[in-house]
Amino acid sequence: MEGKRTRVDIIEDMLSSILSKGGRIKPTHLMYKSNMSHVQMKVYLDDLVQKELVKKVKEGHYDYVIITDKGNEFVQKLKQMREFEKAFGL
Amino acid sequence: MVQVVFSPKWFWGKDIFIDSIALLVLLSIAIFATKHYRIKKSKNYLYLALSLYLIALSFFSKILINFTIYYQVLHTQVIGSIEYTPVILKSSEILAVSGLFFYRLFTLLGLFMLYSIYEKQSKANIILMVYFIIISIFFSKEEYYIFYLTCFIFLGVISNRYYRNYKKNRENTSGMLAASFSVIALSQIFFMFVNFTKHFYVVGEVIQLLGYILLLVTFILVLKHGREKNKSRHH
Repeated sequence: MEGKRTRVDIIEDMLSSILSKGGRIKPTHLMYKSNMSHVQMKVYLDDLVQKELVKKVKEGHYDYVIITDKGNEFVQKLKQMREFEKAFGL
Repeated sequence: MVQVVFSPKWFWGKDIFIDSIALLVLLSIAIFATKHYRIKKSKNYLYLALSLYLIALSFFSKILINFTIYYQVLHTQVIGSIEYTPVILKSSEILAVSGLFFYRLFTLLGLFMLYSIYEKQSKANIILMVYFIIISIFFSKEEYYIFYLTCFIFLGVISNRYYRNYKKNRENTSGMLAASFSVIALSQIFFMFVNFTKHFYVVGEVIQLLGYILLLVTFILVLKHGREKNKSRHH
């Protein structure tokens, strides 16, 4: 059985979910795709916005979360980290 | 008498170059691990970074000792006063002997820390191991091969751990990592027999270089795979 997700795991899931939707996702979809509660997602999303990894935009009647270049780079770093952990058995 | 120089004269400088490559490879991986420790706050990353910094520091000590000795000997020859060489060497003996002590201490502590990432140690075990490491360095003063034998044992056990990891996940990079540590372990065998002929030192250094190049290639592949997986997911 998989262990409890760490903070980094959750952030990775959120950013990967946005990327899987082409870099742009509705907040509700992000919540479902990242397996999070509403409260949990709000806290994490605010944190990601503050760190400029994502930004919130309004298009028509809908809100969207968009991954930034910095967010893209961060996902890349996380993927490298996973590869490194696998190689070194960490 | 403490043996400080193991290299044949024609190989002077080339060994410094080889050790500098090892130093750079170790530093690159250690810096990567430090950066990711800041993101993940995982103790394994911290210990990995610290162990690699320690081994890098040991190479730095070795480079410093060799550079000082080679420079002094070559310098005295150039000015034509070769008879003074032993005197000058004597004056730097304290630096060489203490440098050698730190080279051996940092190497063994680094290897032990690397080993401890995979085989968790109790505090009592850590104290015992540090004691035995210092004892082995003490005996290495007279019988230098004890140091290389200890390195070989540590590296062998670590290689075996990486091989088991490879068998578990079948990742190419895990296999290459196990191979690179095995090659570095192999080089220690040649260093052990340096007193028979100094050519063993050259062979040991070349094999060690191959091991570190393989480690560098593994590290580059890890970084590359991370990027590729990210791109393929993005499209």
